[in-house]
Amino acid sequence: MNEHTVKSYEEELALLDKKIAQMGGLAEQLLGQSLEALERRDPKVAEEVVLSDRMIDNLEREIEEQVISMVARRQPMADDLRHIMGALRITTDLERIGDLAKNIAKRALAIADESHPKPLMSGIRHMVELALHQLKEVLDAYAERDADKALSVWRNDAQIDAMYNSLFRELLTYMMEDPRNIGISTHLLFGAKNIERVGDHTTNIAETVHFLVRGFNIADDRPKDDQTSSTLISGS
Amino acid sequence: MNLMAAGATKLKEKISIRGLNFYYGDNLALKDINMPLYDRQVTAFIGPSGCGKSTLLRVLNRMYDLYPNQRAEGEVLLDGDDILSPKQDVNLLRSRIGMVFQKPTPFPMTIYDNIAFGVRLYERIAKSELDDRVEQCLRKAALWGEVADKLHASGLSLSGGQQQRLCIARTVAIRPDIILFDEPCSALDPISTARIEELIDELKQDYTIAIVTHNMQQAARVSQMTAFMYLGELVEFDETTKIFTSPKEKRTQDYITGRFG
Repeated sequence: MNEHTVKSYEEELALLDKKIAQMGGLAEQLLGQSLEALERRDPKVAEEVVLSDRMIDNLEREIEEQVISMVARRQPMADDLRHIMGALRITTDLERIGDLAKNIAKRALAIADESHPKPLMSGIRHMVELALHQLKEVLDAYAERDADKALSVWRNDAQIDAMYNSLFRELLTYMMEDPRNIGISTHLLFGAKNIERVGDHTTNIAETVHFLVRGFNIADDRPKDDQTSSTLISGS
Repeated sequence: MNLMAAGATKLKEKISIRGLNFYYGDNLALKDINMPLYDRQVTAFIGPSGCGKSTLLRVLNRMYDLYPNQRAEGEVLLDGDDILSPKQDVNLLRSRIGMVFQKPTPFPMTIYDNIAFGVRLYERIAKSELDDRVEQCLRKAALWGEVADKLHASGLSLSGGQQQRLCIARTVAIRPDIILFDEPCSALDPISTARIEELIDELKQDYTIAIVTHNMQQAARVSQMTAFMYLGELVEFDETTKIFTSPKEKRTQDYITGRFG
């Protein structure tokens, strides 16, 4: 790609990418830490998560301000326009991912004293690992302007949804076995739901990257495999 | 936007340019141009200086006829009739295709006569009817309110933006089908520019419009279709929204984002 005749424009676009990469790195870190908080039941890790989330929020504000200023001063066109508007959308998704990770860490604090059911914890671990992998891939796709990579992230979200569905069933069963499990199971259920939401935001980013690179939207509908909103386990 | 709903392909072609080549002496300035101008739509021509966009505009009303050694090959059909044909009455053609230039060019006469002059050339009409026509045209050009009480002052006494609107009123007065604008706002301040753009929006309801502009944002604002030209070639022609968000050609992209040369 040729460079812009106006060098400062080029620099501003590069700065935008740098900030997105920074924010993405923080979001990954936060998600990893929230799992750690859950597994190790360590209040210190949970506090770190809250702190990092504040950094993400600040970056979001910085990027927003930069985008507004660039639109006003540069009147971006074509791929520049898609780049700048894409950055704005991605930053919103990353901020939401940060919030969701923070929420998981808070729940870790709430259930710190309870005994954690091992098989369920490993289910959650797998979900987080997959969500982290997806997030990393989509950030790479953005940095490399790789629409195919974004498309594959977009398709893989179905796996996270499937994991969430099975975890949902397991947690319901666990609750029915013993009412004393209801407290911790509910927190874990919300935690799992948060990870599933992280996957959705990652998918949004994949769509944005695709549009940014190719100039048109991913045509087919995203596979929707979260069926929990219509699932009930009957007592019989 | 309503264009997107209608679908560009369903629009009627007011002008069809087919296989057009244009020469300044031996110099080929337009190379095999093929494109339509759609009826009652604004088509913008963009491209760096010397790309041929003004030349193309000059072909559309046979302005080049005034100069020796300039010639056009190919076809330019206006409602199906080839205007490049030697049988074409050039004066009649220019009454159907009006033109507004970069610098305002009012005649050195009164505001009233600037408009009446052209009308008297083509029509024989009563004084009262002529008065009506002058008012109507000045209203159409959004100038009436500013000049109603000084119609007999010189056209040259107006400000640049007013002079440009006077030229538009003069163009509209002979009831053309098509109006060509060659950089109509490059000598105007932002307020006058906005007035002209608003005017173009309104004129589009009655006229087919072609505009050459170096101001990309202006092209994006006023037109429904955009043509990008480079070195005498038509590189890309598409809906304006498409050109400015996701153009197909890399050269278009580089030009409109400021990455050229």
